[in-house]
Parts: sequence; structure tokens; C-alpha cells
Amino acid sequence: MQGRRAPVPTAITIGALLFLFVPLAIVVLFSFNSTGSLTFPFAGFSTRWYRQIIESAAFRDAVVNSAFVGGVVAVTTLMLGTLAAYGLTRASTKLRTPIAVLLFLPLTLPGLFLGLSLLVLFSRVEVNLSLGTVMIAHMVYVLPYYLLIAVAALQRLDPALEEAGADLGANTWLVFRRVTLPQVWPVLLAASLLAFALSFDEFIITFFVIGADSTLPLFIFSTLRRTVDPSVNAISSLLLVITLALFAIAFVLTLRGSKTAGLSIDAEPIGGTAR
Amino acid sequence: MASLAEATTRSEAAERPRVRPLIATLPAVAWLLAFFATPLVIFAVYSLLTNQLYAVGTPFTLDAYRDALTSTLNRTLARNSLEVGLSTAAVTVIVGLPIAYWLRFVAQRSRIAVLFLIAASMFASYLVRIYAWRTVLGSRGLINSALDRAGLIDQPLGFLLYSRFAVVVALVHIFLPYVVLVLYAGMGPLGDGLLEAAQDLGAKSSLLWRRVIVPIMAAPAFSAFVFVFILSAADYVTPQFLGGRDGVTLGVQIQQNFIGVGNWPLAAATSFLMLLAFVAVFAVGSFILRRLKLSDIRLSS
Repeated sequence: MQGRRAPVPTAITIGALLFLFVPLAIVVLFSFNSTGSLTFPFAGFSTRWYRQIIESAAFRDAVVNSAFVGGVVAVTTLMLGTLAAYGLTRASTKLRTPIAVLLFLPLTLPGLFLGLSLLVLFSRVEVNLSLGTVMIAHMVYVLPYYLLIAVAALQRLDPALEEAGADLGANTWLVFRRVTLPQVWPVLLAASLLAFALSFDEFIITFFVIGADSTLPLFIFSTLRRTVDPSVNAISSLLLVITLALFAIAFVLTLRGSKTAGLSIDAEPIGGTAR
Repeated sequence: MASLAEATTRSEAAERPRVRPLIATLPAVAWLLAFFATPLVIFAVYSLLTNQLYAVGTPFTLDAYRDALTSTLNRTLARNSLEVGLSTAAVTVIVGLPIAYWLRFVAQRSRIAVLFLIAASMFASYLVRIYAWRTVLGSRGLINSALDRAGLIDQPLGFLLYSRFAVVVALVHIFLPYVVLVLYAGMGPLGDGLLEAAQDLGAKSSLLWRRVIVPIMAAPAFSAFVFVFILSAADYVTPQFLGGRDGVTLGVQIQQNFIGVGNWPLAAATSFLMLLAFVAVFAVGSFILRRLKLSDIRLSS
């Protein structure tokens, strides 16, 4: 069955990869253009746009703010999310379903409505908008994505190992720390890196709850609104490199994690067995 | 082995439901009740209030809903949102199916690499992608300058940028990776044996798609379709940068009403009408799937 010839799906896959990556490659290419022109042909190689943005204090503030927000969100999501995923996978009662629905529901609500409803809440209880309100909002947005990964990882484990630990007299916490965690920590770490990446790049919700501060996506948004500023290419390329690097690290950790748990990713793709 | 483990878990669960682990979910549940459920309730209450200068107040009224429904501007924008959402969802699912098929049945060593690339592109910055399409579709961008150099056009194709077309292209770029991953996961039950059996029985590839692949993929394709429809119809950033005058959507209008001195009850009412429309699309779709008996196809490998 493997390796059947299928020219049409192959062509569509190659076309889609080009469609997904060529526009991003163009942005990166123009970030090294020596003139401010955003049109072809390409004039020549230069790093002037990178020097220009690194000298901008507003840009540096935005990067620091984004990293701060993303770090806090990643750590809190790691704690809340791991607990919740553990509870969801180890409980067996009808109560599980409504709790799972609540925890995954934010996935289906467009960011526009999430941002607006939080803005209304904060204005109602007279909380000033700040990076703190951004963190609150991001944790709502990021948690279900973290749970998707963490629940899948915890479900794959062989329950016999935890049962053996419990039978040998270890309490729940000890079993979790000594049996469960060693098997899944790379995947949980990967998921919290992705939580950081999602927060670092979030714009739709952030726009409503940020107040006077700025984050990197907000900085890009206002630059895009103002004028055609060629330094946007350099800022965009940096943002792409950061999020893609985080993703690549997370991907490698997940591969390692599935090996730790005694599974090979090759034998167990997302959908089931392949060979 | 996994199924054996599952079986033991299940038989134990039948004996004694385990409730205690749910305590671990409490912090997350409390967080979402406070910052997800409560804000939505307050937001709903706002849609029932009266708009005043710089404030909202009582009496409670359905005026905002009446205004939202009778405004001709809203109707035009709602139609735009609907078209953008439906086109984006349709294109991503139609293009996503053959890619998922390729990943599941055609790819050999390149599977992990292509999965990596597609999942990675999901994390490529949202704003950067919108900006990238402005560069590609612009009057002197990649496409127009290439066509010009090839001597195919005398002046730039204006419809490429600042149009609904541009909005849909960028949204397809944003959502295609999600759809491919959902559909790829949905191809799990399509065992190798099933396709081989169909082929051994003489099924041509078109018949194979119509009678085997499409029926099994109907449910995951539908979830992907609804997910993309909702998120793209409610997007308010892409239309601002790429939509021009024809591409403005209801989401942009709602956002504008919330910044500056806006009509919050009207915007809240419009939001809830939009959510109602999303629920309706979902309900109608599930109804059709059930009528076609496509929702409950289960295969064991």
C-alpha cells in the first residue's frame, strides 16, 4: 500500500508547501534588501534594516514585553494545564464530560469575542489594562491547546505502570512524580514552549486588553498601519525565526518524548499505525 | 496492547467511578469560569443594555438586537463575512483532503518532514502572513511583476489586492495547516487493508474516493470546515489590511464599535447574533450529516 503512485495528491502537496512557504520566504528575502523598495527585482544584500530596528527602543520594549508575557503564560499554563490533563485522563465519572467541554470550549470561540468579553469584564470591575490583563487573556486562549497535547500524551501511557506504583504503596503524588512525569516530561515541556509561542505571537485578543503597553505583534500592527516601512520585513523575519525555532525544539522534544514512552513516532502517526 | 490496557481501565471504571482525580482540574476550571464564562455572561448582559454617551445603562431592552438586524450596512457586512468564511472553509477542506491522503498513503520517508513543515507553518506569525500576502499580491508585488515581465499584462491586476479574493487567500494560508492535521488524524480508521480490498474488488480511484474515502472522511472534514468557517468569518484583522472596500466584514465593524466612542450594546448584540449564526451552521451541517448517515461510520481495523 505504501508508495502507491498518486500524481494528483503529490502535486497538490508540493503546491501547498510552496503556497505556505514562498510568501514567508519573500518577506525574509526583502528583509535583506539594500534599498527600501518592496518590489522586484531585488536590489542587493544589506543588514541595515536589522540594525535600524535593533536601535529602536520601542522595538526592544515590545520584544521584552512579549517575552515576559509569554514566559509567565507558559509557566502558569504548564502548572494549571498539567494538573487539568492529569485529572481529565485519570478520572472516570460522568462529571468528566462537562469539565472537558468547559476546558476545550475556548478553542471554538473566535478571538474577537474572547477579547471583547474580557475588555467588558475589565472595564466593569475597573481593572486598568496592562500586561497583567494580557497574561490573563492569553492563559484562557492557550490552555486548551496545551491540554490537547498533554491529554494525548497522558492517555498514551500504560496505566499498569501507575497501578503497580500505587499497589507498591506510593501515594498519588509520588506515583505522579516518579512514574508518570518521567515518561511525559519532554512532551509537557514541548507543549509549554508552544504555549509561549502562541502567546508571543497573539494579536487578535491582545489588541483589546493591552492598554498603553506594546507587544511585538502590536508593534508590527501599528507599523503596518502607519506606512510602508521596509523595516517591517526585518521585524517579521525575527518573529518568524523565534516562533519557528520554538516549534522546532518542541517537535524534537515530542519525538524524544514518544520514544521515552516506548513508542516510535514512525509506528504511531497521529492517525494510527501506518505499516 | 493499548486496547488491552484500555479494556482493563474500562472494566475497573465500571466497578468504581474515580472522581478524586477531578480535583486536579479545579484550578483550570476556576480560571475558565472567572475569565471565560463570566466575561461572556457580562458581555451578553451588555447586549441588552441601552447605549448612552460614554456609558451604558438600564433600562434593559432588545433595541440593540433590533438595530443590529435592521441595519442595511450590517446585512452587507454579514454577507461578506459569510462569503469569506464559506470560501475559506471550502478551499481549505478541498485542498486539505488530498494532502492528508498523500501523508497517510503515499508518503514514505518524507512523511515526518512534510508533517513538520505543515505543522511549523501553523506557528508562523499571523500578522506576518497577512503582511506577506500584501507584498505578494500588491500592484508591484511578486505576481504582478512576474506577469508584467512575461509580457502578459500591461498594467497591474488590481483585483489581486484589496479585495475579498486577497482576504480568502490569506485566510486559506492561515488555516490550511490546521485542516491538514485534523484530516490526517481523521484518516486513522482508513486501514491499508480497506483500500486494498476495494482495489482488489476492481474499484477505480474515483470510485474509491466516492464510496470509501469521502464517507469515512465526512465527519472530520465537517469539523474542520466548521472550525475554519467560524474563525475566518469572525477574523477582523485580515480584511483591514487586504480587504479594501469590498472586503470589509462584520468583525471589522464590531471591532470599530469597541474602540473609541462606540456603541457597545450594538456591538455586543451583533456579536451574539454572529455566534447564533455559527451555532446554526453547525446544527444544519450535523443534521445533514446525520440524514446522509455519514456521521456514525466507524471502522475497526
